[in-house]
Amino acid sequence: MNAIASVVIVGGGIAGVTTARELRSGGFAGTITIVESEPACYDRPPLTKAAFVDAASLESLAFATPEEYAAQHIDVLTGVRATAIVRGERPGGCVRLADGRTLDADAIVLATGVRAHAPTFDGGALPEVSVLRVYADALRVRELATPGATIVVVGAGLIGAELTSGLVALGAHVVLVDPQPVPGAAGLGETLAGYLHGLHAAHGVDVRQATVTAVTARDDGVLVALDDGGTLPAHAVVVGAGIAVDPALPATAGLADPAAGGSIVVDAAGRTTSPGVWAAGDATWRRAEDGSLAPCAGHWEAARLDGVAVAADILGTSAPARGADWYWSDRYGAHIEVVGRLVGDGTEVVRWAAPGRPDAVFRVADGLLVGAASVDDPMTVRAARRLIDQRVPVAPDRLADPAVRLRDLLRGA
Amino acid sequence: MTGELAVAKVGEIGEDEAIVVPRATTGTVDDVAVVYTGGEYFAVDNTCTHEEASLAEGWIEDGIIECPLHASGFCVRDGAVQNLPASRDIAVHAVRVEGDDILVTPNPDRLA
Repeated sequence: MNAIASVVIVGGGIAGVTTARELRSGGFAGTITIVESEPACYDRPPLTKAAFVDAASLESLAFATPEEYAAQHIDVLTGVRATAIVRGERPGGCVRLADGRTLDADAIVLATGVRAHAPTFDGGALPEVSVLRVYADALRVRELATPGATIVVVGAGLIGAELTSGLVALGAHVVLVDPQPVPGAAGLGETLAGYLHGLHAAHGVDVRQATVTAVTARDDGVLVALDDGGTLPAHAVVVGAGIAVDPALPATAGLADPAAGGSIVVDAAGRTTSPGVWAAGDATWRRAEDGSLAPCAGHWEAARLDGVAVAADILGTSAPARGADWYWSDRYGAHIEVVGRLVGDGTEVVRWAAPGRPDAVFRVADGLLVGAASVDDPMTVRAARRLIDQRVPVAPDRLADPAVRLRDLLRGA
Repeated sequence: MTGELAVAKVGEIGEDEAIVVPRATTGTVDDVAVVYTGGEYFAVDNTCTHEEASLAEGWIEDGIIECPLHASGFCVRDGAVQNLPASRDIAVHAVRVEGDDILVTPNPDRLA
């Protein structure tokens, strides 16, 4: 391991850039090259949040300036796609780029992320129909959102909900279509998901419980057909239908695992089954020590911590133990944070800020906190994640009491 | 030099908590968070270098102040950023205690 003198990281999102930064801060003295198909290495979560509304520049979303990368001796090749991983002159292999260049490396890190799931309804390929995954998508969708325009958003998950909120802020009339009665309930539970989904209607969104069956072009836009027989005239359609892996690159190295839906299977340290090749972030599934296989959390922090783990392993050290998964989402000015699991075994405890308005929801199992979420109360979740990770016993009545600071439960007050 | 300000009394800032001293008081380009952690006082620029957020409202533990929005951490002693999404350090200011007074000397590089 100590002989590693060159690292090529494919993918400049949070997982890839974290890997590079952690390598340098951990004292790695060899070469580091990041290959990114986008025009810059930038952060994705803002694309559907305030930065979407504000039309933030790509530079403002970038993790660092070219000068900062240069100062850290991190080479960044942007606007070029890696097309294959093949055997090369060094142990990790050789990364082939679309422009014909090749990069041999002692260690290769695949942090390629995922694509947006393409629409499956008829007319999904029309120019009026978009997905949102990269910066150019966000710019294009934002241009559609002229005041008074009608935009159909398909899918009311986190991306669809954030986007709907942003489009409303830009003055568009939004119709939000999702087949679930309470979108998000499978992950957030009915109480919180119901409250959050209700914000759409409260902000003037036309919410439909339905599935889009077809989109057809007409003179001034499209006509969206729903499975309940309804039709929606609209100027544009934006689809948030989840994510899909692109197995093409890992397949060239035999790393697109059919048992993982084509994702790359890694161990806790981010090692793939190919020596000298690591993987991090959304493109991975993780094999636990008991042999079981699980998809990655798909959230930003999980990808960041993957990068921390991969860098540590390349450096021959180990990363700190990982706690419960944490993520955030924003809609209509509300900042939502979630840690751990909010459904499944155990009971739900709600801390109400006002009737019908939860401040936080908790999941308690066997006297321990296993999950928490907050609306505009991030410190409750920051305390909760420590209560979860440290397995501090909790009393449901204290969790439910808005006068009790979770911080004080943590510190035994 | 002059410019040292009494910003609070000892005991007014709880363990692992912070207060905000407005920039109008400090004459700096950003508000200043005065942090009490591990039995010591520290003063840092209060705005996260990633997005607009008040670090004084964040989680403070083991000498790190964690942004309440996206959890970037900063060392309160030297301002060093610990993790993305923020990628730039925050400025720090000199602090000392004299009697009951917590005294902050604004960082000359951060004067408005």
